[in-house]
Amino acid sequence: MKNLRIGVYVCNCGTNIAKIIDAEAVAKYASNLPNVAIAKTYKYMCSNPGQEMIAQDIKDNELDRVVVAACSPNMHERTFRHALRMAGLNQYLLEMANIREQCSWVHKDRKAATKKAMALVHGAVLRVEKHEALESIDVDMSPNSLVIGGGIAGMTTALELADAGNSVHLVEKSDQLGGNVGRVDLTAPYYYSATDLLTDRITRTKSHKKIQVYLQSKVTDLSGFVGNFTANIIHLNGVPESEKTPVEVQIGNVAICTGYKEFDASRVTHYGYGKLPNVITSFELERMLRAGKVETKEGKTPKYVAIIHCVGSRNKEFHTYCSRVCCMTALKYAHEIKSANPECYVSDVYIDMNAFGKGHEDFYLQSSQAKTLFLMYDKENRPVIHKAEPSDDCEMLIEVHEKLSGEHIEIPADLIVLMVGMEAREDAHEIAHLAGISQDKDGWFIESHPKLEPVATTTDGVFIAGTCVAPKDIPDTVAQARAAAARILARIAKGKIEVDAIYSEVNKELCSGCRFCNDLCPYNAIEFIEEEGQSHVISALCKACGVCVAACPSSAIKGRHFTDDQVLAQIDGLFSKVEYELEEQPVK
Amino acid sequence: MAIRVNPSFIDDLDRFGAEDVQLCYQCGDCSTVCSHADDIFKFPRKSMRQLQMGLEQKIETTLEPWLCYYCGQCSEQCPREADPGETMMSLRRWLISRYDFTGIARQFFKSRIREILSITVVALLTGAFLMFHVLSGGSIHIYDGEGAFLPSPFIHTFDLTIGSVLAVFLLINAVRMWYFTMIRGMSIPVPWWLYLKEFFELPLHFFTQKMYAECENKNEHQVHMPWLIHLGLMLGYVTMLVLVMVFIEPLQAGPEIHWSIHIFGYLATIGLSIGTIYFIRHRIKKENYIQYKKSHSTDWIFVVMLFFIVITGILQHIFHRTGLYEWANITYVIHLMAVTPWLLRMPFSKWAHMIYRPLAMYFAAIQKTAYARQDDLDDSLSVTIK
Repeated sequence: MKNLRIGVYVCNCGTNIAKIIDAEAVAKYASNLPNVAIAKTYKYMCSNPGQEMIAQDIKDNELDRVVVAACSPNMHERTFRHALRMAGLNQYLLEMANIREQCSWVHKDRKAATKKAMALVHGAVLRVEKHEALESIDVDMSPNSLVIGGGIAGMTTALELADAGNSVHLVEKSDQLGGNVGRVDLTAPYYYSATDLLTDRITRTKSHKKIQVYLQSKVTDLSGFVGNFTANIIHLNGVPESEKTPVEVQIGNVAICTGYKEFDASRVTHYGYGKLPNVITSFELERMLRAGKVETKEGKTPKYVAIIHCVGSRNKEFHTYCSRVCCMTALKYAHEIKSANPECYVSDVYIDMNAFGKGHEDFYLQSSQAKTLFLMYDKENRPVIHKAEPSDDCEMLIEVHEKLSGEHIEIPADLIVLMVGMEAREDAHEIAHLAGISQDKDGWFIESHPKLEPVATTTDGVFIAGTCVAPKDIPDTVAQARAAAARILARIAKGKIEVDAIYSEVNKELCSGCRFCNDLCPYNAIEFIEEEGQSHVISALCKACGVCVAACPSSAIKGRHFTDDQVLAQIDGLFSKVEYELEEQPVK
Repeated sequence: MAIRVNPSFIDDLDRFGAEDVQLCYQCGDCSTVCSHADDIFKFPRKSMRQLQMGLEQKIETTLEPWLCYYCGQCSEQCPREADPGETMMSLRRWLISRYDFTGIARQFFKSRIREILSITVVALLTGAFLMFHVLSGGSIHIYDGEGAFLPSPFIHTFDLTIGSVLAVFLLINAVRMWYFTMIRGMSIPVPWWLYLKEFFELPLHFFTQKMYAECENKNEHQVHMPWLIHLGLMLGYVTMLVLVMVFIEPLQAGPEIHWSIHIFGYLATIGLSIGTIYFIRHRIKKENYIQYKKSHSTDWIFVVMLFFIVITGILQHIFHRTGLYEWANITYVIHLMAVTPWLLRMPFSKWAHMIYRPLAMYFAAIQKTAYARQDDLDDSLSVTIK
């Protein structure tokens, strides 16, 4: 093996690193390590001059390996890979030693921190010696897409994709398009009719040449990888599932828009839903409003209507999250009931008024102007509904501790509307399993980054939009649906997708075909090739987590860029004996 | 025991002037800016809430609306323009109607037509009664003494009769107020000697209205105008009431009115004239002071009627002093036609706040001492248990 020439670059990160770590001493220590040709410090290594310095050094000093001791590779590995590429060096011949997050930010003792930084750099130097030049691969991107769910999110995504000239397969479980929005009468806060919002979309979706709609259908299998998925779709009616022949479609990307399910109000026993006839859910009231008549089960016009917020939401017993749409919907009900019958008194029993969106605060003010009586309760101290005495002028009484007055009160009511929250669908886990994506504790699908990647998932080529991600209103849902479509369209436009060169590889000479790894892989990236009796890693799907590498009883699987040699060398470096004495007293 | 919410109460109070209370979302800015809200009396925030929720029993037994002099700072600060100042005002109107056992006050506050009609009827009856009396021997050319059109002893009896009727109504209403606030409104016992200990508060607040002055200390206005004018009007009114009720005979005497009566009469007239003109002007112009921007019909009737009485009184005096006895007698009849309904509606109108407010200040002082005493008792009790 020829002598290597390694360049070591220790970043000060302004004072983030240099305040605790003696960067000069670390560089000096590194320069004495075998094969290290050059070791330098710099104020901001990630800056343009910093990157150019590295590139220039690679050319001038014929460096063939680079170690950057700076922040987490999550932060700047891409940056420094770019610097290597600029200098014509393979980008995988880089190793980062994290001396910021894992050292200067978490330690106070300058001497110990400096010694730890030296050990981290030593490990990185020994590791980088073992690095191999790797090439990333390009795969073709199929322009067809699969959209699961035919609600407002699914139809919006499908139309956006199809309008750009791409084929879309839209799969909907029920017998009609429209989803939960189809159950709503008017929307808050501008009273747009939900039917009007939907009708145009449904007609266009059904008649669009590029959209194939599968009603009463579901996706039973999704295999392949980004750009090259195969999905099986079956029709749910008639013959049993096992006897059906699925439709097989080839697609490049998947958008999951499966929506939510309303919370089952009968789970809150205090409210007597299902027992008291005039305790109804928000969706039942929507039906009354659509029919144009708000009345009790006995057919009387109610004098007192009470609306209870956060049914199933914002409570430890059921769901701690906020369902986001109920507050404004409740205000909408207050308006509609009061304007239909000015003699009626509406009490709005709430925890907090979450009027966060555009136009919401004004809508709240309007509800106050319409003399809605707002009564605040504590989220851990729910109201209780009783039947009233015959002598009372109302059917029911809601007993609650009212927070703003501090009084224990009872509210008269003839009709009680429960604002049921949103819940993840009970079959969401099937979809999650199918597409290889994760769910959070409440069952919502998890984004790959909650702020920067709100519609992407950890599975490449699988996108999520709308209320299957978390509760949200129609504008946010539509925005997400269009965002998912935009992400897919960008990939289709590019035609190809680059897959990172870091993935697992099966050594065919060692694989015994035991298939342990097949089930363990969290990304469904390992397929079993029957003819050969061996497992094979689909590199485009592999995320290089290393589970299969660790599990393989024959040590037949190698994690590229994370080989045993590389990891062991790094460990050796970490345990090397490091000498360092403080030269000066640290600044107080 | 849970208290029943009454969502329709807010509609009832609408007629009393609380037109914007539904906008309140309980931020509490009003109580922060108020000079008089404290740990025990948490108005206007608390009152706004009780009104929204229709907790009539709670409002009926509280003194809080009376502790407000309506400087208007809360209404200026309110982020939702819920007008807490006017809400407190409307609660005072409602309380006057509650203290009144006859139910007449409620009718007057809720309907301006009923009020104006009853004033007119009483005025006409008064006129008829006076004319009937005159026909039994009076001469329009004689102002006082033998054969006078309206002789002063007759007027004295007339005044005292009305005064007694008035006193009976006011006394009963004041006792009701005491019962509501000091018996039903107190969760702890109030020892009788506290009424003696704090008695000084009653004349103090009656004659100084010092809490109104404190309101304005916190205000941006440099001169304490509304307080001074209000005080001047009230003192003028009381002086004139005493003169009319007790000293009517020397007041009405021929050319030789005693100088001391004269001084008091003129001072009272100045206070009344400036006060009524000031309030009418501000209620029309709606400038500078937020408390004059909204005027309930009862506010107008109060100030306009008082102004009319003052003007007719002044005219009558001028005619009398210049020897135009016929004119003096005519204006006297008109003056009395206004005075009689004015006095008779005292217990049922805005006027009653002259009695209720100082009473409330006195009761509030007793309540505060009682609560402080209870706290001390509780503290000493917990020490002995240890």
